[in-house]
Amino acid sequence: MKPPAFSYFAPETVEEATARLAEYGDDAKLIAGGQSLVPMMNFRLVSPAALIDIRKIAPPDAIEESGGHVRIGALTRHRALETSPLIAHRIPVLAAAMGHVAHLAIRNRGTIGGSLCHADPAAELPAIAVLLDARIHAARRGGVRTVDAGAFFEGALWTALEDDEIVTHIDFPLLPPGAGWGFHEFARRHGDFGLAGAAVTVSGSAGRASEVRIALLGVGETPVRAHAAEDLLTGSGFEPDEIAAAAAAVRDGLDPTDDLHASADYRRHLAGVLAERALADAWGRAANGAS
Amino acid sequence: MSSQAAGAADVARPGIVGARVQRREDPRLLTGRGAYVDDRKADGTVHVAFCRSDRAHARIARIDTAEARQAPGVLGVFTAGDIDAVARPIRATSNMPDYRATELEPLARTKVRYVGEPVVAVVAENRYLAEDAAGLVSVDYDPLPGVTDPESALEDRALLHDEAGTNIIAAREFARGDVDGAMADAAIIVEDRFRIRRKTPSAIENRTCLAEFEAGRQALTLHASTQVPGLLRDALAEIFDLPGRRLRVVAPDVGGGFGAKASLYPEEVVVCALTMRLGRPVKWTSDRMEDLTATTQAFDEIVRAKLALEPDGRIVALDADVIGDVGAYSIYPWTASLEPVQVVSFLPGPYRVQNYRGRVRAVATSKAPMGPYRGVGRPISTFVMERLVDMAARRLAMDPAELRARNLVRDDEFPYKSGSGIVWDRSGFQECLSSALDRFGYAQRRTEQAAARNEGRLVGIGIASYAELTGIGSRISAAPGMPINTGTERATIEIDSTGAVTAAFGIASHGQGLETTLAQIVAEELGVRVEDVEIIHGDSAAVPHSTGTYASRSTVLAGGAATLSARALRKQAIEAASYILEAADTDIEMRDGIISVAGTDSSITLRELARAFYSEMRRIPKEARESLELSASATYDPFFGTTTGATHVAEVEIDPQTFGVTVRNYVVAEDCGRIVNPMIVDGQVHGGVAQGIGAALYEEVIHDENGQILTGSFVDYVVPSAAEIPDMAVIHLETESPSTLGGYRGMGEGGTIGAPAAIANAVADALSACNAQINELPITPDRLFRLIRDVEPREGESKNET
Repeated sequence: MKPPAFSYFAPETVEEATARLAEYGDDAKLIAGGQSLVPMMNFRLVSPAALIDIRKIAPPDAIEESGGHVRIGALTRHRALETSPLIAHRIPVLAAAMGHVAHLAIRNRGTIGGSLCHADPAAELPAIAVLLDARIHAARRGGVRTVDAGAFFEGALWTALEDDEIVTHIDFPLLPPGAGWGFHEFARRHGDFGLAGAAVTVSGSAGRASEVRIALLGVGETPVRAHAAEDLLTGSGFEPDEIAAAAAAVRDGLDPTDDLHASADYRRHLAGVLAERALADAWGRAANGAS
Repeated sequence: MSSQAAGAADVARPGIVGARVQRREDPRLLTGRGAYVDDRKADGTVHVAFCRSDRAHARIARIDTAEARQAPGVLGVFTAGDIDAVARPIRATSNMPDYRATELEPLARTKVRYVGEPVVAVVAENRYLAEDAAGLVSVDYDPLPGVTDPESALEDRALLHDEAGTNIIAAREFARGDVDGAMADAAIIVEDRFRIRRKTPSAIENRTCLAEFEAGRQALTLHASTQVPGLLRDALAEIFDLPGRRLRVVAPDVGGGFGAKASLYPEEVVVCALTMRLGRPVKWTSDRMEDLTATTQAFDEIVRAKLALEPDGRIVALDADVIGDVGAYSIYPWTASLEPVQVVSFLPGPYRVQNYRGRVRAVATSKAPMGPYRGVGRPISTFVMERLVDMAARRLAMDPAELRARNLVRDDEFPYKSGSGIVWDRSGFQECLSSALDRFGYAQRRTEQAAARNEGRLVGIGIASYAELTGIGSRISAAPGMPINTGTERATIEIDSTGAVTAAFGIASHGQGLETTLAQIVAEELGVRVEDVEIIHGDSAAVPHSTGTYASRSTVLAGGAATLSARALRKQAIEAASYILEAADTDIEMRDGIISVAGTDSSITLRELARAFYSEMRRIPKEARESLELSASATYDPFFGTTTGATHVAEVEIDPQTFGVTVRNYVVAEDCGRIVNPMIVDGQVHGGVAQGIGAALYEEVIHDENGQILTGSFVDYVVPSAAEIPDMAVIHLETESPSTLGGYRGMGEGGTIGAPAAIANAVADALSACNAQINELPITPDRLFRLIRDVEPREGESKNET
């Protein structure tokens, strides 16, 4: 479990980094926190010819509110999101989800750009990005573009990012005032990837839900929104039978696969249970919720 | 933690033994100043990477090493023939009937028999280059039929070892009384097929070995992360035909073993062979993937068992058939029979079972070899017997605690010969049960459990009682029919010319704190302070013969040797001092390193005595200096060994929707005899229970139907972390062993023995309303989901499936 030899570069600007990317194409890997990449290199699952260390490009932990969103630099560590008062205040579901990311040592090193680009379908951050319709900003030599989170994740460990692109920052929309949220995940051990997880936001008024969002992790090739369940609950009073029906819709809409830790049936079942819990929490937290 | 002193030991000896002395090795180990094998940087060291089989069962058609030999930094690429040329083959022999030894081939020669088996050794200037070159080796295999499932392998349709003629490489049967007759007459019979899945011990330090050959002395030194340096020395002496004086095996700081570092491994033979060939120190450091695939594994049994009882709960008969999946090779020296035979040896447990029949077959399959793992066989036997006892209690509508109390061997029945012939010496079986229940608050918690159930919560309480044999002496082999002696240990204690005390042992502490506990015993018996005693261990050169640390033996055996040698040394030191103090031996006492004449202020320090003895030649007469020695050696043989009993009580809660199991409460009452250091005993129990919880709920080595191992990293092999382990209460009953010197009993493994059964019973209890049978470990959330989905909730009882 030692990686083969590689070249190492530590550019100080995005331009330098994208120039290196243009030079190496798919034979280069960006490295920041290294929490997923280094184990994969040690297993020789990936053997890049070059590592481009982007830590000098921008200061870590850039989190600022601007307009209707919070803009977060790609080098921001999970731990910074978890502990940011701004995030706790404006996007509490994101702060809560970050507490489920692995262990403290990993949250102190792993970056949010790295997590999004690694695109593990069981990871928390991609699920929250999909839940909230975050916008992912990427740069390449001679241009920048923005990708919606919903279009960014194309498959397990597979994104819309081109080989020569680098994620620079992410805009997470603020939760609407009074919105409720819920996040539930089930893992075999503290700190493991969840076997399944559900994130919910809901806005309500006069005892009726006006906007419901449900995203699930660990139950498919990418994080997924449960649109059918969202539609069922929109306009509802979030009565227990309505929540249960939505959870059933969540289950029915999923087609997970078996793996060592969970059968497809169990994953589907879990997703329904966790969605139901997250929905109940979210409604309980929403202002103007219960009449 | 609480301690209840039942024996007279503590009262009579308020000394160093029994004191809560802080572990003296911890400052070194906890601040990164330990010295493990991988820390040893011998000049010119080269590194091995192994090409390991990616097939479960195949014939080696061709090995092409040409490209690898040309790779940068490569010193050589070696295959079976290179090793065979200098190393004799080794077989784990046994005089057990129906046992078939399998040859240990350090590098596979004609066939590979499990995924992960070493085939080619690549040596390079560093491990990176060695791995690069290993990637250039190509091995062509002709596939052979799979021998993966243990029950299918019994049918011998395909053979793993052609020369054995069968896959059943060990078989045995224990029988006492008339099982069939008792079963026919019994009021009730409970039975099931139990499955405990394969585990791997997962020590935090992976196996590592460094071989150095000193050409001038023609001497070979192996530093190895091992529990058994003396045993390796003796084995390597045969393999390489070297006398012991030119062969030394050192186990420096070792980061855990749990039994997995108690066997001879192919990699150890290979580095020794290659250092002699290359003239450079040769190191191999296992990575975690290698550890998870090629270190010995364990706890892989299928047990069909039935238990017959009278209406009053009296056990009348037990019948069991055990299939042990022992993997590809019979490991040296323990053999493949070690674990499965222990399952049937210990199945009757601490209970009166008049009629017993236990049959076992060890079947070879294409998986990593099975070896010792903390508890060896007894986690499985205890799981099975304790499940049966709980199933019987349910059938009889009797409290499971009461059923145990009625069947546990009582104090007036010791020594008691168990159904398999093991003799239990006096031990507090009943007292462990009652103490554990008291501490747990059993009656109160049963009331609370009923209330929780009314709220729809799945709360369960599980009890497990067991007994083990520890500190076994020369009368009993640590593994059946094994030709080596595991029943003695030796100690040498010396006072040098500065007055320092050094005690040398052959045992090898790898986390147990033996540097502290043995120093306590030496200090107390000799009459010096703990901090005055240096403990040497883990070095085959320290004593003429030793096997090492395993089987809960080191406190009993090395502690006994320490006691005997310290007493002999004390006698001589006092006699030497008598010339200086001008007093009779009987009037002289030695305490805290000061030798004094009782009732006077006349005294000398040990340092002064040493100076007088070794340097100031006129103070002690020549004849005395020649006849006395400030040194003593002794060997201790407990002959039979001693019993250790315990009861564990666990409370779990199951999330009825996610099927996650949380262990909420845990109590252990164990009888470890006279305690040397309560903190160390607590730590051993805590760690053992944590591993038992791993076996109960988390850990499972998984192979696919083709024998590919799927759990090659800690993402997939799920070891519990501290967050999954509850606080636990540990009650020590110090029923001094009548059969060991000092009254000590072994207690290193017990936590792992009791926990799987206690957790399984608690989970079954939590699910008692839905009739789900808990007969397979680990109990994963996915298994619980399927189990509960697949059973129809129904009232009353049905005959259990077989």
